[in-house]
Amino acid sequence: MESVSCLKVRQIITVKIKYIQILGIAVSAVYFGFIAFLYLAEPRTLADVTAKAASTLQDATTKGQVITGTYGVDQTKFAEGLRLFRQDNFVAARDVFQKADPEARDAKTQYYIAYSYYRQGWGRLSNDDELFGSGLKQLDVVERLDPNFVAMDEDLKLKRPAELRHEFQEGMRFTSDDLNPLSLIRERK
Amino acid sequence: MSTDTGKTIDAIDVVDGEIALAGEKHLEQRKPQEERRAFLVYMYLPIIFLTAALLGGLRFSSADGSFIFIKPSLLCLIYAAMLMILISRSHLVRLGSWFSDESSLISNAASAATIASLYIASTQIFNSLIPEQGLPYWIVAFCFFWTLWNNIFADFDTRRLVRSLGALFALAFIVKYLVLLNLTAPSNQSWLESVLQSPSKSVASWLLDIPQFSAGTGYVQFFAVAIYMLGLYLLPASPKKESNS
Repeated sequence: MESVSCLKVRQIITVKIKYIQILGIAVSAVYFGFIAFLYLAEPRTLADVTAKAASTLQDATTKGQVITGTYGVDQTKFAEGLRLFRQDNFVAARDVFQKADPEARDAKTQYYIAYSYYRQGWGRLSNDDELFGSGLKQLDVVERLDPNFVAMDEDLKLKRPAELRHEFQEGMRFTSDDLNPLSLIRERK
Repeated sequence: MSTDTGKTIDAIDVVDGEIALAGEKHLEQRKPQEERRAFLVYMYLPIIFLTAALLGGLRFSSADGSFIFIKPSLLCLIYAAMLMILISRSHLVRLGSWFSDESSLISNAASAATIASLYIASTQIFNSLIPEQGLPYWIVAFCFFWTLWNNIFADFDTRRLVRSLGALFALAFIVKYLVLLNLTAPSNQSWLESVLQSPSKSVASWLLDIPQFSAGTGYVQFFAVAIYMLGLYLLPASPKKESNS
C-alpha cells in the first residue's frame, strides 16, 4: 500500500520536473534569441536596442504575412505616396511607396516607383541618365511581378512597362534628334 | 505514515514540499533536492552560460563608449568544440547520463539546451580572450591550440580540468586585458600627440595592430570569465543524482 503511494508521489515529482524542463527550454530559447538579435543587429546604445528590436519585429511580421499569404500593400501609405507623386515630390513619393510595399511584391506600386524615376529624370534639354538607369532596373521588378501589367491611372500616359522602358532607353541615348530645336516644346508623359 | 486511498493526487495540491490530499491527512515528505537540481541544471545553468555568452563578445568603443558586438571567429568555434571533447573526456559532463533513449523527449531536449548553452558560452569565452586581430591574435590562438591539443590526450580528472581551465583563462585574460591593452596608445589623442607623448605605445599599437577599446571592456570580460567559471563549477556530471556519487 505504501509503495503505491510512493509511486504516485514519484509521478508528481516527475511531472513537476517536466514542467521545469519545459520552462528551461523556453527560457533558454528566448535568451538565446535575444543574444542572437544583439549580435546580428549590433545596436550601439541602449536606445538603439529598442529601435532595432522594433524594426526587426516589423520585418518579421511582414515576412510572416508573406509566408501566410496575408501580405498586402499599406493603402494609407500608398495614397500618401500617390499624393506626393502628383505633387512632383518624387523622392518623398518613392520613399513612401517603398514603405507601403516593403517586400516589393505589388506591381502597381513598383510601377509608380519606376515612373517617378522617369518624371524626375526627364528634362527638356537633357535627361538624368542615372535616374533613368534606376528606372530601368525598377521596371525589371515590375515585369518579374506581372509580365502583363497595364496601369489604370489616367494620369500616366505610358501605361505599359514596355512603353516606359522605350522612353528610358531613348532618353539615355544621344541621337541627332536631341539637337532638334523642336524637342524644346515636347511634353513630359 | 501514508496509506493508499485510491484517489488521484493532483499536482496543484503540492504545497511547500509536501503533498496535501483534500479532506485527508495524507502528507508525504517530497524530495526537494531533485527539484533544486532540476532548477539548477535546466534553468540556472543555461542562464549563467548564456549570460557569459552575451558578455563574451561585448566591447566598448574607446571613442564614445558605445557597444561593439564582436561575432566569434571560426577558430573560437573549433576551440570550443575541442573544449567540449575535453570536458567530456574528463567526465566533467557524462554525456551518456545527459542523453538517453530511456529519458523522455523533453528531458533530452532540456539537456541539449544546457549543453548547447555550455558550448555557446565556451565559444564566446575564447572570443573574449583571444585578441581580435594582428600578431597577438595568432600568438594567443596558437598557445590555446597547443594547450587544448595536449590536454585532449592527457589523463584528466574533473577537478584538475577545472583548475587547469581557470589558470589558462586567467593567464589569457591578463595577457589581453592587462598587458596588451596597456600597450595601446589612448585613442583620444591625435596621431602626433600619441607619438610625442607616448612613442613606445604608439609603436606597439602600430606593430601589433591592437584595437583600442574602452577600459570598461576589461571589467565586463572579467565578469564574463568569472560567470563562465562559476557555471563550470556548478555543472554536475549528470543531470540526475546518481546513487553511487
